[in-house]
Amino acid sequence: MKRSVPFEIFRYAAIFAALAVTLVPILWMVSMAFKPIGEWSATGADLTWWPKHPTLANFQFVFGHSANDLIVALDHTALKPILSSLLSAVFGTAIAMSAGTAAAYGLSRFGSGQNLPLALIQLRLFPPMAVMIPVMIMWAFLNLNDTWWGLALIYGIVTLPFAFWLMKTFFDDMPREIEEAALVEGCSRLRVFTRITLPMMRGPLASAALFVFILNWSDYLIALLLTTREWVTIPVYMASLSSSMTGQLYGAKAALGLIAAVPPVIMGIAIQRHLVRGLTFGALKQ
Amino acid sequence: MSAVTATISEDKMGTARARPAMRDEGARLGFRLTLPAQLLVLFISAFPLLMQLYISVTDWSPLSGVGWWSAWEMWNSFANYTDLAADTRFWSALQRTAVVMLVCVPAEFLLGLALATLFADDFPGKRIFYSILLMPMMVVPAVAGYMFFMLFQSGGPVNDILSTITGTRVTIAWLSDPTLALIAVMVADIWQWTPLMFLILLAGLVGVPEDQIKAATLLGANPWQRFVTIVLPKMKTIIIIALAIRVIENFKIFDTLYIMTGGGPGVATETISVYIYKVTTQDLIWGYVAAIALAILIVLSIVAVYAMKRMAKTREMPA
Repeated sequence: MKRSVPFEIFRYAAIFAALAVTLVPILWMVSMAFKPIGEWSATGADLTWWPKHPTLANFQFVFGHSANDLIVALDHTALKPILSSLLSAVFGTAIAMSAGTAAAYGLSRFGSGQNLPLALIQLRLFPPMAVMIPVMIMWAFLNLNDTWWGLALIYGIVTLPFAFWLMKTFFDDMPREIEEAALVEGCSRLRVFTRITLPMMRGPLASAALFVFILNWSDYLIALLLTTREWVTIPVYMASLSSSMTGQLYGAKAALGLIAAVPPVIMGIAIQRHLVRGLTFGALKQ
Repeated sequence: MSAVTATISEDKMGTARARPAMRDEGARLGFRLTLPAQLLVLFISAFPLLMQLYISVTDWSPLSGVGWWSAWEMWNSFANYTDLAADTRFWSALQRTAVVMLVCVPAEFLLGLALATLFADDFPGKRIFYSILLMPMMVVPAVAGYMFFMLFQSGGPVNDILSTITGTRVTIAWLSDPTLALIAVMVADIWQWTPLMFLILLAGLVGVPEDQIKAATLLGANPWQRFVTIVLPKMKTIIIIALAIRVIENFKIFDTLYIMTGGGPGVATETISVYIYKVTTQDLIWGYVAAIALAILIVLSIVAVYAMKRMAKTREMPA
């Protein structure tokens, strides 16, 4: 459809305004991550949108206890929180994806577990805060508090609805001729699933796994309640960075925020095609 | 039980060619494949719910010196529930959650819809703009909270921009003013989740059949009429899904908000999740928290069942 020139001008003006609003908060944090301490809370005329003296001191600080121009030292570096975030998100994704994929196939092909679609949506409906008391008690009982494997387990359950629904729509969409041909050839159903279906679904599996990983990586509340010291994740660690003694460690937090923000943004762009499907529980496909 | 349902539904599908042995094999495999997910669901729903119910009628707290299973010693004959009815902090938190939802979700919807209409046809730069506009929803919410915490400092960039526009030096302390803090928190939520509306609504908009729009144009309908009479009705289901997702997620609002204000100043930005969090970690009266949580779960379940029934009814009607 051809559009008029005034419309095109309006369109670009509106889009550029939206881009500006989208990017300013992100750019401010990126800029802050490279600012030396003197520029952290500069106000008024001194406030600059780009660091005057760009430095890596903030990254040095969060990874190596201290940096030249910072008086305070950290008793914990960011390394362990990053490791904790990675391990819990990766293994949480593994739990959600294996249970979710298997169940999705079981329902899609054999009609097993008819209760699962609704039960899993309900799981997603409830605020995590409203079920955390029993979870905290159970996790304490099972000695899972403040461990990355305890986090991985709850992440796996919390994101199971997404893994299940995504894979279910992928399996539903998949043509069955090849599977049927293999069955006629005398393959067992399990063998068809593991040797034929799963390899064929590599692309969708990867997209779903990335989607689930982003969700796990983004958690704050659950880690806040279930980890205290040893295995805090990046967001929890970040929030604990400032104290009455140090004040707000703007630059250090921004550096950490940048580290936390980069992986999901890149992954999100990589799976853009499947985002709609993932976010709407497969109700919509792009 | 799952195995039984599986066999029945396979029969319904009429796989007459399959030998009985093969059908059984499928049912057995289906049962085994769904078992882990079933167990995980059971593990996180049945037992925790019973435990929650049990604790919610007691004064138990992790500091009370007895294990949760002995909580019956502190039975308080439903006092938690009567307390809840009289808990003004709870009701005002609930009210605040509703206000945030009533502002944020419509704002996100309208902004997302407006953006989506701009992206409905092709134009140079579309793909790169699209990717950039989706970025906020992929930023870790806690990090987004920290971004906006920085932006809204009294000497921060938001005031700097306002100063440039107005020509006078603006030093509003956004996050320490009760009303402004709530606004700041809502701005952050709208920033982060408008992209989700945009994404879903654009997917719906692209799906509207082109020929119907062309036909309407030939009949002399102007763009606004086309939008209201053809595009919106066609997108009805998608709009409902998008709104439902945001309503559900917005009700849980915690991460960004808690990092920005911690629920403060005072209780000015305390939403229901923040309130429960504070009672859980600061007051430590877990019996009471269990009662609140259970009350919320019950109300949400009723709403959900009602909504799903309505949805099922609309689906039965021809599109």
